[in-house]
Formats: sequence, C-alpha cells, structure tokens
Amino acid sequence: MNRRILTELARLLGKENVLHEPEDLLLYEYDGSVEVARPDCVVFPRSTEEVVGIVRLASRHAIPVVGRGAGTGLSGGALARHGGIIMVFSRMNRILELDLENQRAVVQPGVVNLDLSKAVEHAGLYFAPDPSSQKACTIGGNVAENAGGPHTLAYGVTTNHVTGLELVLPNGEVVRVGSKTVDTPGYDLTGLLVGSEGTLALITEITVKLSRLPEAVKTLLAVFDAVDDATETVVDITARAITPAACEMLDGWTLRAVEAFVHAGFPLDSAAVLLMEVEGLREAVEWQAEQVREVCLRHRAREVRVARDEAERQRLWSGRKNAFGAVGRLSPSYYVQDGVIPRTKLPVTLRKIDEIGRNHGFQIGNIFHAGDGNLHPIILFDSRDAEQFERAVATASEIMAFCLSLGGALTGEHGVGMEKSELMPLMFTPEDMALMRRVHDAFNPTGLLNPGKIFPTGKGCGEIRAQPLPLSATSP
Amino acid sequence: MRTGTAAATRLADVVGAEHLILEPESLARYAVDGVTPAVAVRPGTAREVTEVVRLARSEKLATIPLGARKLTGIGMPPARFDLALDLTRLGRVLAYDPGDLTLSVEVGLRIARLNETLAEKNQFLPLLTPFHSEVTIGGILATNLSGPQRHAYGTARDFVLGLEFVTGAGECAKSGGRVVKNVTGYDLHKLLIGSLGTLAVITVANFRTFPLPPAQTTLVAVFAERSRALGLQEAIQRSPLAPHALEILSPAMAGLLDPDQRFLSARHWSLLAAAAGNQRVVERHASDLQQMAEHARADSFRRLTREEEKTAWTSVREYPAVAAQASPAATIVKMNTPPTRFGERLAQAMRIAEAHELPWAALVRAAGIIYFLLLPGRKDEATLRSLEEAARELMRVAVNGGSVVLEWCPAELKRGTNVWGSARGDLRLMRKLKAAFDPDNVLSPGRYLGGI
Repeated sequence: MNRRILTELARLLGKENVLHEPEDLLLYEYDGSVEVARPDCVVFPRSTEEVVGIVRLASRHAIPVVGRGAGTGLSGGALARHGGIIMVFSRMNRILELDLENQRAVVQPGVVNLDLSKAVEHAGLYFAPDPSSQKACTIGGNVAENAGGPHTLAYGVTTNHVTGLELVLPNGEVVRVGSKTVDTPGYDLTGLLVGSEGTLALITEITVKLSRLPEAVKTLLAVFDAVDDATETVVDITARAITPAACEMLDGWTLRAVEAFVHAGFPLDSAAVLLMEVEGLREAVEWQAEQVREVCLRHRAREVRVARDEAERQRLWSGRKNAFGAVGRLSPSYYVQDGVIPRTKLPVTLRKIDEIGRNHGFQIGNIFHAGDGNLHPIILFDSRDAEQFERAVATASEIMAFCLSLGGALTGEHGVGMEKSELMPLMFTPEDMALMRRVHDAFNPTGLLNPGKIFPTGKGCGEIRAQPLPLSATSP
Repeated sequence: MRTGTAAATRLADVVGAEHLILEPESLARYAVDGVTPAVAVRPGTAREVTEVVRLARSEKLATIPLGARKLTGIGMPPARFDLALDLTRLGRVLAYDPGDLTLSVEVGLRIARLNETLAEKNQFLPLLTPFHSEVTIGGILATNLSGPQRHAYGTARDFVLGLEFVTGAGECAKSGGRVVKNVTGYDLHKLLIGSLGTLAVITVANFRTFPLPPAQTTLVAVFAERSRALGLQEAIQRSPLAPHALEILSPAMAGLLDPDQRFLSARHWSLLAAAAGNQRVVERHASDLQQMAEHARADSFRRLTREEEKTAWTSVREYPAVAAQASPAATIVKMNTPPTRFGERLAQAMRIAEAHELPWAALVRAAGIIYFLLLPGRKDEATLRSLEEAARELMRVAVNGGSVVLEWCPAELKRGTNVWGSARGDLRLMRKLKAAFDPDNVLSPGRYLGGI
C-alpha cells in the first residue's frame, strides 16, 4: 500500500492502530472459513468519527474497505477479497446504554456476543442469538451476517433482535435507521441492513432487544441406533409443533470424533444423538420434555437422558459447540456447508448426503440445527491433494444442488460471503440479482465497501481454496 | 382521464376484457382518500400482474395495488392515481406443508379464509389485524398492521420467509425463500413489508405458520388509577410469564368495547392479559396474574368466560371500526413508545385532547404502542380544525426516540399534515431505494413518508 496513505491513516488513528507489515497482516488473511485473502492494511477505529475519517480517505483513494469483528465468520465475509483496508471493530467494544426496563441495549459493533448477555444477566435478561462462537464473535459481525445459533429455533435469528442501527455510508455520511421503539415509520432499513454482509454500510452502533431468561430449562439427549430414527423424530417433533428451544443432531461419526476430544458423554456406539433443550415456564418445560421424550421413544430411541444439573448440561453443550474443533483434529482440511431444507425432508436428505459422500469416496460428518432444517455436512479431505480438493468441491455442489431441489436455501446462518457468491444464481434469477445489485448501488455505488461478496464474480466455484484449520477454529 | 383508449385496450389484452373496469360507479369503489382511478384491472396471475405493471410503467400510469380496500385510509392521499390493480383474484394457496409449518400463498387471499384452512391442521398465522374478516394478506403486508398477538409473535416482518413481487420497474423478482432459516441474499422482503405498495406489487408470500395453542384464557384487572394499571403491566413484563397479548384500555375505551359493561368498567383503567399454551401453563398464568393484580392493588380481578374473551379480543383487534362507530371524525394517533414512557406520553396526549375539548380513548399495547383515539361527536369545520391542531401537537410529542403516526383520520386532515410525521435522516436512503425499485415513480406515488 502507498506509504502516503499509511501515513494519513496513522495520522488519523495513531500509529498503533494501523497494521501494515506482512507478518501483522497474516492473521487477517483468514476468518473461520476456508477462504484466504490478504489485506493491504488493518486499522482499528475507536469511534464513529474515526470510521468516517477512514471511509473518506479510502473513498478519495478508491481503496476497498472491509469491516471485521472477531473474524469467526464462516463464509469469508470479513476478508479483503480485493485487498485494501480491513477495519477491525475490536476497539469499539463498549456497551453504550442498558435500558433494562424497556429490554433494549445500545452497543458498539465490537462488543462480544456473550459479554452483552453477561452484562444483563443480573436483571434476568440476555441477548438471544447464540452462534457457537459467541464467546468470541462480535455483535457487529452477528448483525452483518444475520447470525443464528442453536437457540434461534425458538427465538429467531439476529434480525429478530435488532431494532436500530447507526451506519456509516461509503461516502462518510452517518445515518441512523430504526430506533429503540417498534414500527419506526418508513422502509425497514434495519431489516435490510441486518444480514447485508457489510456490503451496504459499516455499522457503528446497534440497538438490540434483550430477552427474558427462562424460568426453567431442561436439556435432553436422545440416543438412536439408526440415523433415520433420529431424523424421523425431528420430523415428528416439528409436525407436533412442540418447538423446543434447540434441537441439534450429531451423527455417529461426528459424535465419536467429538467424544474423543471433549468427553461430553455421547454414547460411542450410537448412530446418532439429538441434543434438545426446552425452556420457559416450569409447567411448559415439564410438558414439552414429556412430549419430546415420548416422540423419541416412539421412534426407537435407545435412551432419552435428561441432564441432571447445570454441569451435565454444559458438558453436553460443550460437545456440540466444540464439535468443529474436534473434527479439525482428524483431517488436514474440512469443508462445512450451511444449506437449509424443509424439515419434512430431513430423512431423505441425510440418506442422500451419505450416498453422495460414498460415491465420491468421502467421509461426511453431520452435526446441525435439525430443528430448523439447517444442515452442516462436513466434508473431510486433504487440501494438499489437488484432485481431492476438486472432488470435495464437486461433492459440496452436489449436496447443495440437492438441498435446493427440495425448495431449500444456500445458507441458513453463515452468509454468502465469498464462499458461496458463485452459487447465488442457483437460487436467484438474473432479475433477482439485478434488483439486489441496484439496492447495493443505492448504498454503495462505487463498490468500495466489501467488494466481491454476495454477488457472483464470474470466477467459478474453483476459487474456493481450502486450508487446514487450527484446532481453535470456531464452529457454527 | 389519463388512461387513453389504446392503453385500456392493451390492459384488456392482458387481463381479459371481463377483468377490466371502466364504469365510473364501479371505479368509485377503488377510490383512495377520495381520489378515483381512471381504470381498474383484476389480473388472475402473477404473470398478468407483471404485464400490467410493465404497461403502467411505459404509459406512466400511477398504479395502486389493492385487495379488500379496507386499509386504504392508511397513508397519504395519492399524488396521482390512474390504475387500480385489484389483486383479489390472486387467492390461491400455492403450497402448505403442515409438517414443516411453512406456507406459500397468493396475496389476494383473505387472512380469515386462510386461517380456516390452517385451523384444520391446528395451525394459524398470527396476523389478527383490524378488519380481520375481510382484509387480505397483501393488505396486511403493505401496511405491516398487527394485532394484540404481536406481543407473542411479532409482526409479519418476524415470520415472512420470503416474497415474490413485481417491482415498479416491471421485473418479476423474489427475496428470501420457503424455509424457516435463510440468510441468502438481501432481505428485500423486509423493505416491502410496510412499504404501502410504493416499491413493488407483492404477489406471493411465504410464511412460517404457528400451532394453535391448545388452551387459552383472559384475565382482566381494573384500576381506578392509570399508574397502577401501568405498574401491573411492568410487573408482568418483568416476570417469567409470557402472555400472548397484554393491553391496557382507558375507561372510555373499555366503554366502547363493552358498552353494556358486562366485563369491563367504563370508570376504570383495565388491563387485559391473554395466556395461551397447554392447560397447566394457562392455569399458572391465571394464578400468578391474580397474585400480581392483588399486589398491584387492583380494584377487581376476574377471568373472562370464553364468550366474553372472544368479544373482548375481537373489539380490541377492531379498534378502528370501534372508533369509526363512536365518532364521525374518528382520528387514531399511533404513538410508538418505550413502555417506561407510557404514563408520561399518555398524560401529554390527554392534556392535548382536553385542551381541544376532544373526547378521547386509549389502547396501550405492551409491545410499545399507544393507540390514542380522538372521538369528536361532530365533523364540522370547527371540529376538523381542532382535530388537526390536536393531531399536530400529538405528532410533536416524541419522547426518547419514539415516533408518532396518524394511523386513521378523516381525509380532510391530510391536507395540512403528513400522517407519517416528519422525515428523519434516513429519508435520502429511502428515496434511493424507491428509485431502485420504481424508477418512474408509478407505484402508489405520494402515499408514503416524505412524499414517496
């Protein structure tokens, strides 16, 4: 990057808030996905004013700007695909206002998801979206990607919990959209911005809803000897409209990988487990737990275990939340997908995934949000082997095509990013894409904000590069 | 008439001559705030809608999509109105997967009719809005109206999974999908919900459906003092209870909803709470609410009979009709308010109404809305003048980030007041979006915020 621009950035932010040496940039080449892209520099603004300054400077010099939180995203959303400046929000991490009585919080984008919940726990409140990376990921990142998590089954994804935003547009204009109250007159710009993957504006302040902690929680582990029995159970639970707060599935291969690493207490000889949670009033929890148990047994569950205490509950969840780290120990590379299907189609889809994997000679693990049909098939392969890599990509495409043929969606919570941009035409027509492009241009006409995301670049899926992930890799 | 014979012929070619309406007496039924279109069409497919919108664009015909036409009083009068696009023939259920709790419907379908279908599978869409028996899915989406159940379910923005629509540019496009979780592409459907037909004509909506609760009950606590009713509401919000609806009625509102005072009192502020779920959950709510009402020193507390319950919630839901019956110039000011400011905002509104000697009533929705009703007994010039002044003053009452909208009022009031309130800093972005969807400004021109 041009020295003069670096000097200007350093003048704006202080030298300590601008990184540009190659060894400093290395970390920012990655996020939680299999993508890689090197920025020219990384900056750490401390205020909206500084964000405006950076954006103006970048606009003057026609340099791309990419917002980034903790870098735990799983679709390459926070990578500088076309180089330029990565703007890391880790120093804008203050909770600006807690309005507990109205169940609202106003936060800067760098606030860590779990830190907000901890800050309001004393008032019996929490922030509902709970991506598995919640100990590290930021609320700004959650907003950009419209993040989900296990408990979004009952409580909705990030968009259902955000009521207002402060934006910095690519021309440096600061705009507020939405508010703390409901039904702000005018177009729902907040709803558009949440999940726009940093391609429309940089978000510098977020107003979120806080939810009330449930009075009672029960965590159940149902153990099955056949994958089909587990998936049929999910279909039945959905059809009976029992709506647990979470309903997660791990297949036998995955749970064995997890158990070796985490010791969560999953039975090693089972074909699949369902990890379910019911929450709410004591009376509702008892009733729901009984219903869930009954459905599981009807579908030949070998055992339905209820976590006896918080420690056991945490242990079961640690198995789920650390699963991807466990998988990372077994294979040089893995590729996680995020397709969604109608819940009624779970059994046929899992059978199909297994068949596709076998045809291509891959072990595919499945650990996913079964309750809302959000699959995460994990394809294990060795990225050092070009032929294997090609096959892995082909396998992934075949699985995705099958999901879409059932009326599904490309991504349930990870976002399109650069990973799935070339797949967008599988779901959207040229007219759909042209309209999205015009909406993009209404905010970001020069395309300097997070370029190369969401929209197909015409480079083909082969661009997906896989890398071995470190053990600490975040999970969905 | 702006619509030439040639254009009418081409419209007839698209929808069929029997679905083209040119007779003045029939067109009068399509009037929006007193503005009558030159022609109306009743397309039968999304394809026909696309053709009509393309034609409207090329002929620069100002076009308003309409359904049951019960909600056309919402918004500003159109700046122009040439073509009424009647969508009521688009009334099919395209897909319903009860096992997946998902649904895809055309927007001309009436919500009441749809909920009858869903009830066969013990499911429903919690879109129980004013004019429930007549209003269409499209009307609800265009206005983002909600009902008392929003307390538990939110609004359409929370459970629409995707939309298909025709933009003002004449493109047939979609956003979202049919599955319950999906972050693929921009959520354009969020923009369309509540856009009052200014961006696109929605043709198909995909929803998540919800199980009908097996049991329900409604509890009423009445108070001589407003602050105590509000106090109970706050206590309920702080408790682990999860009522499906939670509302406070002013004494006059109670009088309007229950004129014979069978279960409400026109001398008291009433708190209504609906509990739903399985029987044990409902009983738990009933007993906890009773204790909380006693603690809040309610003057009385009772559980409504099934019939009273039905009457109560129907009337609460139908507040615009109730208001229209009570006054020839009924004006409803919707004040979006943080719940902790309810008391303060109500006091301000009451002072304004009383200063203008206008009878008033109030409905407070715990989710964060005060519906403040001005109900004068006459509709003469002097009354309209004081209504207009009062409405303006009420719209200036904005406490702590809230907003105020004139939701329903006599068309006369709209001559001098923008019902959406004053525009904010994000209007420029909204205008750009309008241009992206509807570059020639043919869809519902002038009806929205800031002259959009």
